[in-house]
Amino acid sequence: MGFATSQSSMNHQSTQSSATLNGTIAIRFTLNGREVEIAVDPTERLLDTLRYRLNLPGSKEGCGEGECGACTVTIDDLPANSCLVPTFQVRGCNVRTIESIPTSSLQPMLETGATQCGACTPGVVVTANWIKEHSSVLASHTLRALMAGNLCRCTGYDGIIDGLEKWIGNPKGGRP
Amino acid sequence: MIKTDVAPTLAGGPTLIPTDMPTTNRPMNMGQSMDDNTSRLDGVAKITGAAKYSSDMLLPNAVFARFVRCPFGAANLETVDDSAARKVPGVIDIEITPKACTYNGQPVGHVVAESPVAVNRALKALKLNWKKDSVKTSIRDTKQVGLLKGNAPDADVTIRAVYSTPVQTHSSLETHGGVVDHKGDKATVYASTQGTFSVRDGFGDALSLKGSDFEVVCEYVGGGFGSKLGGPGKELMLAAKLSQKLKRPAYVMCNRAEEHLDTGNRPSSVTSVWLSLKKDGSVVGGEVMTYGGVGVANGGGGCNVPSGRYTFANVNKSHEDVSFNAGGPRAFRAPGRPQGAFAEELMLDEAAAELGMDPLALKRKLAIDDVYREMLDQGAKLIGWGERKANGSQTSVMRTGFGVGIAGWGSASPGGNAEVVIHPDGSVESRTGTQDIGTGQRTTMGICTADAIGIPLSMVTVQIGRSSLPPGPGSGGSVTSPTTAPTMMNAATQARTKLFEVLARQGGDNAADFTVKDGVVLKRGEKFLSWKDACAKLPADGVMGSASTGDGGKGNSQGVQFVKVVVDCETGIIYPKHVIAIQSCGRVICRKTAESQIIGGVIQGLSYGMFENRILDRNVGAMVNPNLEWYKILGPCEMPHIEPVLWAHGQTGVKALGEPPTIPTAGALACAVFNAIGAPVRHLPLTPDKVLSALEGARS
Ligand code: FES
Ligand code: FES
Repeated sequence: MGFATSQSSMNHQSTQSSATLNGTIAIRFTLNGREVEIAVDPTERLLDTLRYRLNLPGSKEGCGEGECGACTVTIDDLPANSCLVPTFQVRGCNVRTIESIPTSSLQPMLETGATQCGACTPGVVVTANWIKEHSSVLASHTLRALMAGNLCRCTGYDGIIDGLEKWIGNPKGGRP
Repeated sequence: MIKTDVAPTLAGGPTLIPTDMPTTNRPMNMGQSMDDNTSRLDGVAKITGAAKYSSDMLLPNAVFARFVRCPFGAANLETVDDSAARKVPGVIDIEITPKACTYNGQPVGHVVAESPVAVNRALKALKLNWKKDSVKTSIRDTKQVGLLKGNAPDADVTIRAVYSTPVQTHSSLETHGGVVDHKGDKATVYASTQGTFSVRDGFGDALSLKGSDFEVVCEYVGGGFGSKLGGPGKELMLAAKLSQKLKRPAYVMCNRAEEHLDTGNRPSSVTSVWLSLKKDGSVVGGEVMTYGGVGVANGGGGCNVPSGRYTFANVNKSHEDVSFNAGGPRAFRAPGRPQGAFAEELMLDEAAAELGMDPLALKRKLAIDDVYREMLDQGAKLIGWGERKANGSQTSVMRTGFGVGIAGWGSASPGGNAEVVIHPDGSVESRTGTQDIGTGQRTTMGICTADAIGIPLSMVTVQIGRSSLPPGPGSGGSVTSPTTAPTMMNAATQARTKLFEVLARQGGDNAADFTVKDGVVLKRGEKFLSWKDACAKLPADGVMGSASTGDGGKGNSQGVQFVKVVVDCETGIIYPKHVIAIQSCGRVICRKTAESQIIGGVIQGLSYGMFENRILDRNVGAMVNPNLEWYKILGPCEMPHIEPVLWAHGQTGVKALGEPPTIPTAGALACAVFNAIGAPVRHLPLTPDKVLSALEGARS
């Protein structure tokens, strides 16, 4: 999806034919507990469907390439970068976004300074919430390792990890 | 409430900060701020995803656009065939002007469509015929930079070296751009910006409206670090044009690749130096020649060495900016400083090694004042400098190193405005148009208002990030808090005085008889009325205080940073373990956001030191890593424990805090690596290949 790839087709040597797909795919899936029916272009990314068509802009686009985690959602109870998922692939799935996470439980993340500019934060919280709901993974992984797919340019991560430790009630953050 | 004259309680305290210090409660920083415990006022909105950034302004009936950009460092766009692209369903218009381009990412036109999917498809369907030209991609393509000749006649030791730093891109998680919603006689501009008012003033005639007929809104900004200063930028200019033409909201946001290519960066640098010292460490002569790699720009590549933070006698400096085929620089957190500090700190460590001196002792001697010396002493204790081994004396695979660097920053306040309204229901509104780029502006404004009036913060609501509010400064040069905090406190004090005047008129008293403490109004020191009951006596629209501050004086901030690393000498990988960041910041308003600013500066410095590098293909001038995978920034697993230490020592006034903590980090890191492996790595980033070749060089 990156610029480099898309630009290569501008080269006159490119043999790529122009996009001629007009058809859309009708799908149904569960989004934050409610049924959704939508017709999508085969190249439409889940992140775009959520943000631009279903009015859920909580999931952010940091890179569009699966590197930063700002777009993290869960699909059938597993975290995924929604910028990498064609929407038609969530047909029949259960998708949850930041908008579905109960706010009352998030106080510890606030107190430790887990957010600064906040652009990475929804993705951080979705991953954190998944870890909290599957805390058995902490027997084999540190929080830091589990959070490695979520980049933050501002906070230095300590606030995020400390907030998570408090939130989950697990002291295994994995200090450097 | 605030103590400005207390020293950090470190003196008799622990000599080493444990690495599991809680982020919620850093004992050495308690009691030095107006507010120790408040968490970010907009934290809940950010954590729940409710905060609406400009990129989230997905208005009904909006159109989406992106630039068509040059894929090479130098190329002529000879022919354009957009027939297939125009047939892509949802495409509204394509405008491309054939021209000669001089950098990768240079716009030649745009595609506008009904959806982002259609925009991307149309971009792929374009047939553009580019004729490539030869490129220059670095300072060294134009300049032969070698070792400088010369030495001071009375020197005991002279060192000579060449240092270099790469281009660092800002990599804010929210990219550049925004949304323009033009409604004919009015418009709203949702901008991801560090300058609400510079965006307003920068449109010129582009919106065909007076500044008072449109509003710039940026309630949340997903980072900027300097790159979002100034006017609307080409993205918002395009949105302005399209929204007027199509009479629909227009959405233009860069993607990550465009962000790397064409939204500014920290320019690269090459520094060649000779420096002569006496046995006692005094610098008696030298010459520094620096070059800044500014891409297609003509300037802006300054490299701040000598920094003026160390006493150097008879050291001459010259600088030249070098242009080549790449996107140009923009202000980046302490422009010119980190590149200079890297060369300066490592150069001094190399000199100390030649002299057989402890580099800390050398820097302590050369530092220009006692504030630095005190900070160095304190920091040395906190990091455990006593455990430091002589350069290159370790033989194990994993070697530990210590390094130190110092920072300074001063910038003049540009002036600003603020208003505070006290309503009859007791609520208080504080308003200033400046934006919050992650620093905590909303929070600090609330704290200043509550503190000046004497009421709990929960009674204050803060409005920021709109051009319809009182104008304030752009978030650049670390001037926002130093400008807006005193202004907001003045406005709050005035509003409170007006309340007292109302109370005095009604009861035949003097306004000077009243005060407020902990939300209770006192008359001549005795409880008079609760805050709410007192405010109930106000007229229906309440009372307002407003304040303006003109161009202000310069406030200097100083800091020192200590870095401890472990280097794996088999793989060349460096593991930063611990950073102590001592930072003077005058009157601290909010402990947590201040600590967060310091930590943020340090991580960007470490990331710069270890990973970041805009790599251009030497043959065609295209950036080969325009993403966040190969343009790597520090992640949670590479992060050391960072301990921010707020240094209040007899300081008054709010001082700069955004820029200085990022200045010395990469330099201190390079010094620590030098200490561990016994050979200097003079070129950032300190990647394993360079560490291994330095080790190899040291062996042979
Ligand atoms: S936007 Fe999906 S991982 Fe970065
Ligand atoms: S808070 Fe800014 S990117 Fe994480």
